[in-house]
Amino acid sequence: MFDTFPYDEWSEDIAGFWTWGPGSSTGTYILTAIGIAVMLVAFVGFFILENRKLAHQEAALKASGALDRPTTMGSAA
Amino acid sequence: MISSLVPTWLAQAPTPEELKTQIDLSAQIQTETFYFWTVVVMWLIHVGFMAYEAGAARRKNLMSTAMKNILTIAVVTPTFYYFGWYIYGCMEQGFPTVGPDSMDGHAGPVQFAGFCGQTAPWASEMGPNLQNHLNAVFFLAFLLFSWTTGSIMSGALIERVRLSAYLVLTAVLGSFVWILDAAWGWSAGGWLTIRFGFHDAIASGVVHGVAGVFALGVLINLGPRIGKYTKDGLARSFRGHNTHLTLMGLMLIFTGFYGFYAACLFITPTVFPGWLNIYGSYTTLGAIAFVITIGFAGGFTGGWFASKGDPFWTLSGGLAGVIAVSAGADVYHPSLAYLLSISGGMLAVWAGNYIEKKLRLDDAVGAVAVHGVCGFYGVFLVGIFAGGYPTGLSNVESSMGGQLMGIMTFIPLAFIPGYVFSWILKKMNLLRVPPEVELEGLDMAEFGMDFYPEFERVPEIIIEPDGREVDGAPVLLDAYWQTNGKPAAPVGVGSEERS
Repeated sequence: MFDTFPYDEWSEDIAGFWTWGPGSSTGTYILTAIGIAVMLVAFVGFFILENRKLAHQEAALKASGALDRPTTMGSAA
Repeated sequence: MISSLVPTWLAQAPTPEELKTQIDLSAQIQTETFYFWTVVVMWLIHVGFMAYEAGAARRKNLMSTAMKNILTIAVVTPTFYYFGWYIYGCMEQGFPTVGPDSMDGHAGPVQFAGFCGQTAPWASEMGPNLQNHLNAVFFLAFLLFSWTTGSIMSGALIERVRLSAYLVLTAVLGSFVWILDAAWGWSAGGWLTIRFGFHDAIASGVVHGVAGVFALGVLINLGPRIGKYTKDGLARSFRGHNTHLTLMGLMLIFTGFYGFYAACLFITPTVFPGWLNIYGSYTTLGAIAFVITIGFAGGFTGGWFASKGDPFWTLSGGLAGVIAVSAGADVYHPSLAYLLSISGGMLAVWAGNYIEKKLRLDDAVGAVAVHGVCGFYGVFLVGIFAGGYPTGLSNVESSMGGQLMGIMTFIPLAFIPGYVFSWILKKMNLLRVPPEVELEGLDMAEFGMDFYPEFERVPEIIIEPDGREVDGAPVLLDAYWQTNGKPAAPVGVGSEERS
């Protein structure tokens, strides 16, 4: 089929070498499990990091008094 | 001399078997290349959604809005790789655990035998594989559809949802909800396809409708932005900080839609007519390109007139028009598509106003109306205008009954997870940013900076229900004090009930 390289003779070996697998092997299971674990940790990390930032800014804004309701003279009466 | 060369040429000529091998390989490479480029074009959808939503956000929420679209890719990609693609390959008949639809079984029609076993993340086809060029590009095309569902939802929630909450919700939508409905009703072996002839060729319902309804479930728990509604429950309008960016984003989405449409077809280069829809029925790339183009034309027209020339709704109408004709894009005549897309563009405007003003749901970009309402409207239209066309390899006729079956299946499939997951996040106080942060703007809290540092800050302008433009700061502060930071008008509660 090809005339510049003996692919016909080597094709099976090449296909095997360049194929990710064999699938459903211990290695692929382990890689999958690690990947899922990292993904889940990333989700938790997104929550923790953002919560920290929001809590910090919320506290800073409350402490600044910028959002406090202004008191009106005589309103207590 | 020539005659002496002929025997040499004949000796080098490939045998029929060799020719067949070459043609098969060429067809496979052509298919692989085709889907690769659809993925490239579909990236523009996400560029567009990012620009569209960032432009629609107020200046103080610019980067937090854009970052949602960027991180959609960060979370939906792995979740879809580990779970979503497996769901599509192996759950066409429901939730199988054993039998022919199990992980290593052969789900679906015989033409797609073995697909299920190829979609698990540990399968040999989910990586470099010289024997299988196609699974990887199919995976990528569907992954881009998954990002799209997340992006559809994201615009509705801007300016008050937590980024982390959105990421969880978009993973649920992009890697579980939509792909399960695709397995059921957007595949050759899905139970809705095989048993009911459900027909949604270019994903009016399975992508747009489902994402819109999922967003509806989330919006109910999320509540409106502070100050969105007056004490009497009338809707104010917040001005996006850059309408031009929004319109550019929409135009980019439209460009990406051509890749989306193309990726919804199977290319079969060596078999007449060369193209199949997602169900394995005949169509052509030209047919769907015809419909999408005239669908935009009709949608813009409908949106323009229904909104009396509003720029945002004119362009959103174009999107709604295309969505309304997508379900039958493989069989609609262009004139029919033109008429139906005009109605879709108008419906989006009316539905958007109803949702905002009557239901008091603060959908910042009209996603529920454009995608949810018009998506299922498109599915419904197939029952009227494409009834009788054969769907799928079993040639089950499309019908109104089959379309209604799909609608009745997908609406709860989308709404319930959206509502339940957002309700859980709300109860954990993880759904919405603190009201103080919302008032100041999310960008300062999330990123510590203003993203137009050279530009002078100007007062935020809010449009009151009577059309007056007013300084936004006192209005927002008043709403904050009145409600102690809670949303000013809970969903479905009228002014008399609140007072």
